[in-house]
Amino acid sequence: MIRLLTIMSNRWTRLILVMLIVLSLQTTIFADLRPFGVAAQVVLLFVVAAGSIFGLAIGSLTGLIAGMMYDLILPTPVGLSSLAMGLAGATAGLLIYFFDQPTWWMRLIAIAVASVLGELFFPIAQSIVGIDGWLQLRVIKVSVVVAICNVIISPLAILICRWTLTERKSVI
Amino acid sequence: MAGGQSTRRRAIVLLILTSIILITLDLQNSSAVSGLRSFFGVIFRPVESTTRVVTRPVSNAWHGIFDYNNVLDENDQLREKIAQQEGATIAAAASVRLAQELLALNGLPTLAGINAVTAQVIGDSPTNFSQTIEINQGSESGVRVGMPVLNAAGLVGKITKVFNDRSVVMLVTDPDFALSIKVVNAPRTAITTTTIARSNAAVPSPVVPIEGGQTIDSSVSSTTSTTTTTTIAGFTPSVTTLPAVPSGVPSITVPLASDLAVRETGVIEGRGPSRQPVVRFIDNALRFGDIQVGVPIVTAGGSRSLSPPDILIGKVSRVVERLGSAGPLLEVELVADLSNLSFLRVLLYQPITEKAVP
Repeated sequence: MIRLLTIMSNRWTRLILVMLIVLSLQTTIFADLRPFGVAAQVVLLFVVAAGSIFGLAIGSLTGLIAGMMYDLILPTPVGLSSLAMGLAGATAGLLIYFFDQPTWWMRLIAIAVASVLGELFFPIAQSIVGIDGWLQLRVIKVSVVVAICNVIISPLAILICRWTLTERKSVI
Repeated sequence: MAGGQSTRRRAIVLLILTSIILITLDLQNSSAVSGLRSFFGVIFRPVESTTRVVTRPVSNAWHGIFDYNNVLDENDQLREKIAQQEGATIAAAASVRLAQELLALNGLPTLAGINAVTAQVIGDSPTNFSQTIEINQGSESGVRVGMPVLNAAGLVGKITKVFNDRSVVMLVTDPDFALSIKVVNAPRTAITTTTIARSNAAVPSPVVPIEGGQTIDSSVSSTTSTTTTTTIAGFTPSVTTLPAVPSGVPSITVPLASDLAVRETGVIEGRGPSRQPVVRFIDNALRFGDIQVGVPIVTAGGSRSLSPPDILIGKVSRVVERLGSAGPLLEVELVADLSNLSFLRVLLYQPITEKAVP
């Protein structure tokens, strides 16, 4: 029991559990509601939020784990989303690194920019491994809509992300 | 500061290396990766089902607010369409039955002889960079990878992943989709047959106009009669009968090769949701003639094709001529509305090349 509690108090264990719920939201409600024909990307939002709060290292690791979980339910090769999400998390962390004491609106800008870039990384990664045909002008529209949706939902995502990834002292 | 930088560098190197290893493993069809997918699916599906039930009211409210007027408009249009098509359907059903009987009589494969499983669409693709849907039938119902998926209008896609009780369908518009097809080119234009019967009687006759602006002035000593046959959509006037020769020689039926419906094969490829699929590798043959906008595109079939022949896919919406021997590029307007799929039919058809050897 003590061992279980220790494992559960680890932020990476919490991340996996929270990501299961975020992924299920992505494949159900956010795949169904498509403003302007574009599916909002809450997994990406969670990753860029992590990057903007905790910096580059945590952002890229969160992206790697979340992307890998996303890969396991997508028909595309495993590793593509990990790479794209990891880079998105790292980008968000890098953007926030330039501000000394980032305010809430700076975080929002970082989330918007990292969301646009994160949504672009995926078709680029697809093209690199030979899955052609997705790098079209439509990608711009998709990226912009995803960024707007992410900015709207980001206050909630930041709260959940902070709760999930904050290191806590052991309860034992 | 230096420590922070090295941590960042290590994180990025770790990320890139891990991703590259995973991509390499998956592209080589590693059993470890497919095992991991299955294992994750077992954990994830119950969570997803619960979330689907919980979020359904939100989803319904959204569609109620934003799609209500569209649904009303669509309903009106559909009522009008149904009224127009009711008569045509009866005639078409009779023709289809006749065609199937003829195909069966000649030992040719027909769609009627292939079993199918009805499936319901249970999910869209969660990402913006894959044109797939999920259906509620899987290997338990006999569904296998590669089987063609149809709706009432025509081909929708093919099965790309099968689980016990669900499958993933790649839509025709996905850039990874490719299938061999036939273009059924219609005979060229209306056929004008002019029979000129000469006689000795000097009967004045009017000037008869003939297609193409030509006229025959028969004011001398001849009688001219003109018969114009207009082609009917779906009907091929493939034979013509020469005029009877008086000296007891029986009439000969001569098929006109140029009037036969010519079929040419190519490959249809998807180009994403915002662009129509295209057909490539059409031979620029003289006999095939010019491809007209509106001619139907059907599956080619054959021992290596993943689908049986003659499933309707769409019609040619634009012909892009290319230089050299590349042949034209055809843009295809699909008959199936891929943005609004609910019930589908999976044809339990597997070509001989895909059959697993025991």
